This record gives sequence, structure tokens and C-alpha cells, in this order.
Amino acid sequence: MNTSRFTAGEPAVEITRVEPGLWHALDDGRVTGRAETTTRPDGRVFLSVDAWHRSVFDQLAHAMLAALPEPLHTVVDETDDETLAAWRQAGFTIRRREWEYAVPTDPRVTGPARPVTIVPAEADPLRELDRVVRAEVDATVGWAEMPAEVLVRPPDDPAKYAVAVEDGEYVGLIRVAQVTRLPRIGLVAVRADRRRRGIARALLADALGVLHRAGIETASAEVKETNEAATALFDGIGARRTNSTLELVRHGR
Amino acid sequence: MAGKGGIEVEGTVVECLRDARFTVELANGHHVLAHVSGKIRKNYIKILPYDRVLVELSPYDLNRGRILFRYRT
Repeated sequence: MNTSRFTAGEPAVEITRVEPGLWHALDDGRVTGRAETTTRPDGRVFLSVDAWHRSVFDQLAHAMLAALPEPLHTVVDETDDETLAAWRQAGFTIRRREWEYAVPTDPRVTGPARPVTIVPAEADPLRELDRVVRAEVDATVGWAEMPAEVLVRPPDDPAKYAVAVEDGEYVGLIRVAQVTRLPRIGLVAVRADRRRRGIARALLADALGVLHRAGIETASAEVKETNEAATALFDGIGARRTNSTLELVRHGR
Repeated sequence: MAGKGGIEVEGTVVECLRDARFTVELANGHHVLAHVSGKIRKNYIKILPYDRVLVELSPYDLNRGRILFRYRT
């Protein structure tokens, strides 16, 4: 199939800001397009535009850009050529790429991992590990490099986590979001002073093993293209890149 | 003043196409070509075959839709 994402034609619409972070495109009183802002916990503002016609997309984007301080961000599927072109036309450039992985759960595929003690998380030591990991992120790559979900904290439900323990101390964690049919590896983190010891791989193998025993063959994960350790981790267990998501930014002038 | 939105209907994803689009079968058996809303994209929500979804139909072309929501099953 080779159809255009946008419908041809240029309907006459009226662009209206209905809330501080919401614009509507009205065609004869009917809402035919929307543009919205979302402010992430780190303060970055992400935009989205839904329109049936490219001309309406452009008008909504123009209205937002005229009203909002920059920098502004958005997210687009890399295979969505027309939406990507529309954002680029609006002055956005690629800031980063995240690979989407299909992660096998079968231990015969993922291979062996170093023996590491992995246990269900308890609330208090999990919060302490989370605090340590956050401080390390703060001091190194910074929050702008983290996916949105990592920003939402502290851990609300220890049952979603497994942790690696060394010398009685939590040194790494993994969170698996149990979603319909395709569980998502939401977060893998190891304390900076315990890295390069196979702890992340052991956490991953443990979580994937649980899924495999539950009859689930594949999980999903997103990894930043430039995170060499993470891409090596997922490539090393036989995960397959299936797609990519682009984060775009328009910088202040 | 905000106006009315488009027609919203429930459907089931039957095929994932390239360019981030999907074929969705509506309850009446009609198939629409749908893409995901910007909000779904911003929240990294994955759409897979057999997912039940809420689709807004295009007022300009009833063969087109926009996936607004994925139901948990």
C-alpha cells in the first residue's frame, strides 16, 4: 500500500487556542485538528499535532510555535515520512533516535548470564537505590537523555521491580511493565560502581525468564542509539531492532 | 468556543502497516486505514494486531481514522 498520510486538499479552518496547551482547528464548527502540549517532569515541553490535512497541520504547528517559548520537542516514528517532513518544515531537527527492540525471552536464545542474586524488591531499599541511580544520572548524562517514564518517581509499586543484591545491598534494578501480550522492559539500571560485571544482563535474563515461563515469547524495549552499553546488552541477547523513534527539537532563536 | 469532534468508534487492529499506520476493523466489519494520535506517540504506546482501540474517523474520508486510545485487555 502506498497511500498518503494526509488527505489531499486544503480545507478552510479556523485555529483557536482553547486552553493554554490546546489548540483546535475548526472546520464549519467541527473540530478537525488538535495540537497539544505536554510538559514532562524535567520541564521540557513536547508537542503533538493531529490533522487530516498537511495544510491544517502546518497552521496548528505555526500557532503553537508562535505562542510557546523554545526549545520545543516532539516525537515521531521514523517511518512516518510525512509527519517527519511536516515537523522538519516547522523548523524541528533530530535530537536523538531510540531503537525499538523485540527481545526474545527464551533462555536458549538469550544465552547464559553471570550468577547474581536477584530478588523481588522491597520498598525502602528500592527507594534508596532509586535515589542513588537518580543522583548518578543527574551528575552524568542528565535527565534530558532519559525517556519520559524514568522521570516519574519515586517507585510507586515495588512489585513491578526485581533487584540485584551484592553484599546485602541493592546494586541494580529492572522494571517490566506487564502490558497486553508484549511486556515492556521499562528500565534497567545498575549503580555506577557496580557496572561492567554482568549485573544488567543477569537482571534482564531473570526478567525474561519469568516471562518465558509465563508463555510470553517476546518483550519490547527502547534504547537510545548512542547508549553503547545498552545497545550491546540487547544485541548480545539476540534482541532484534524493529523500528525507531525520533525525538525532534526546535531550539530557541 | 470549542466545537464538536469527529465520530469515535471502537475497532480491532488487524494489521500493522509501514509508515506507522494500521488497518483497523470496526464493529460493523468496515476496515479503515488509521495512524496513531500524537498523544499515543508521545507516550510510546505500542499498537499491535488484535489490540482493541478507539478510532476517530476522518470527517473528510470515512476510510481513514486516527487511533486515540488502546484498551487494556
